Amino acid sequence: MNTLRLDLENYRDLLAEYIRTKDERALYQAEQFSKQSMQQNISPEEIINVHLRSLQELYPELPDYILDSFDFLMETMMSYGLAYQEFQALREKQLELKSEISVAANMQKTLLSTTKPEIEGLDIGALSVPAKQMNGDYHHFVIDDEGSLGVAVADVIGKGVPAALCMSMIKYAMDSFPELRMDPKYILGSLNRVVERNVDSNMFITMMYGMYNTEDNTFSYASAGHEPGFYYHKERDEFEEISAPGLVLGVSPDSMYEQYQKQVDEGDMIVLLTDGVTECRKGDDFIEQEEILEVIREYKDLPSQEIVENVYKYFERLQDFQLRDDFTLIVLKRDV
Amino acid sequence: MNLNIDVKQPEERYSVMTLEGEVDAFTAPKLKEELLPLTEAENALVEVDLGGVNYMDSTGLGTFISALKSTKEHGSRMRLVQMEDRVYRLFKITGLTEIMEIDTSVRGGM
Amino acid sequence: MSDQSCVYIKKEWDIVAARQMGRDIATKVGFGTVDQARIATAISELARNIYLYAGSGKICFEAIETVQKKGINIKAIDEGPGISDLAQVMEDGFSTSGGLGAGLPGVKRLMDEFDIVSKSGEGTTIESTKWLR
Repeated sequence: MNTLRLDLENYRDLLAEYIRTKDERALYQAEQFSKQSMQQNISPEEIINVHLRSLQELYPELPDYILDSFDFLMETMMSYGLAYQEFQALREKQLELKSEISVAANMQKTLLSTTKPEIEGLDIGALSVPAKQMNGDYHHFVIDDEGSLGVAVADVIGKGVPAALCMSMIKYAMDSFPELRMDPKYILGSLNRVVERNVDSNMFITMMYGMYNTEDNTFSYASAGHEPGFYYHKERDEFEEISAPGLVLGVSPDSMYEQYQKQVDEGDMIVLLTDGVTECRKGDDFIEQEEILEVIREYKDLPSQEIVENVYKYFERLQDFQLRDDFTLIVLKRDV
Repeated sequence: MNLNIDVKQPEERYSVMTLEGEVDAFTAPKLKEELLPLTEAENALVEVDLGGVNYMDSTGLGTFISALKSTKEHGSRMRLVQMEDRVYRLFKITGLTEIMEIDTSVRGGM
Repeated sequence: MSDQSCVYIKKEWDIVAARQMGRDIATKVGFGTVDQARIATAISELARNIYLYAGSGKICFEAIETVQKKGINIKAIDEGPGISDLAQVMEDGFSTSGGLGAGLPGVKRLMDEFDIVSKSGEGTTIESTKWLR
């Protein structure tokens, strides 16, 4: 079909054809005409005007009251035209916002990126998947001057842009800590003061901070209200919860954190996670801790990275491939 | 995803809020709007009955943290009662049981 | 420069008088029916703004002519509370029309030139021109 011209002559001919034939084809062309008019920002009142002038040319003896009625119709349609123009402007604005958010999401990715370190004797697996464009979970690896591994797992309340902004603050605060070895309890204490001073009253962050000492194979950790992790004893073939009392970051300026230590034997495994893992829902039900452990147990003999990926796949399927919350899982396994 | 909020004021400066449903990102703003003003009177006691709340997420917790901060600012009190196990676990993990007045003697399902 | 004619806006029906005067002048300038309808709609918006937010004010019209072009100039003048956030009233979707597309952004779209001066507590003057093409 050749492209329609949006001029009076063309409209008039189409109209005449329709009146003569009552043919569906002419109506279809009218539909095309309407779409093209919108593309070219032609407003309803202009179309009415074209219609009126076509009528006048086709039927020169039209009575005045018919002609006058078109002035009336034109006034009636004015608001529709304006509303459509406003809609167009808002749609453009929305596209702009969308692309800004995706730029921000990319910046966040770069900003918060952390490299999984290679450490002799320790097999590390880590996976973090956002439910929406921007991730409210955060994990970070750092190796200090003496070769120990620091690992942080955090979850900001809420999702999306506000959570992501908050995370960036945490990341900067952590980067500003001195390079020398700091105990998990002090790290959480300092972060708490930063967060408490800088966030809204209904915002908070949970964090588990652990330090793996590669010299004596000990794992020290402290928690700021974070979802408990798990410790797997190879020898006893048993899981136990890794939990530590402590208030979430950002609620009370003088929170103190307690630090615990575990001796890690060969084949033992440390699992750290966010509540996106424990709050997976099966339809309306929640999964129980037992089920998480069963899944981890099933894959426990694989390399750490494969464990986290398999566990993720399991829960992704469980939720029909629609994550409801950001999902972060980290596994540290002492090589046998 | 719905939350019913019912507020009764048996005495001046004593209000009882009864919640039923889920406290999550969708319902938390409404809860905040109703709960915060109650905490803003000096010496007021606000009792929140959570017996009908079967699910709360971190946004919901954030609302109670806001309310707690508001009680400290205005010299009022907030007490949470009838908490279900699942909800109590959330307050326990996040350390909030240590700083909030939570009446465990009437805890749901224990 | 020709004479300026004004309509005072105090009650809702004054909006109709303003439209009528504007349309008469627009017709004399030579505007076609579509542009007449646009000018009348813009006048309605301006007059309704005065009626709703300032209580009273006036709309003044002037047929203008330069060497190259002819047009109509409309001024809406009130001594009401003024507009504190001009950026917001000019933003789409925030207008008092409640998403009906009108409001001041609508006036701007209907006309060719648009300017607004407002002082808190002293009132608002909106000046707008449409040129004959």
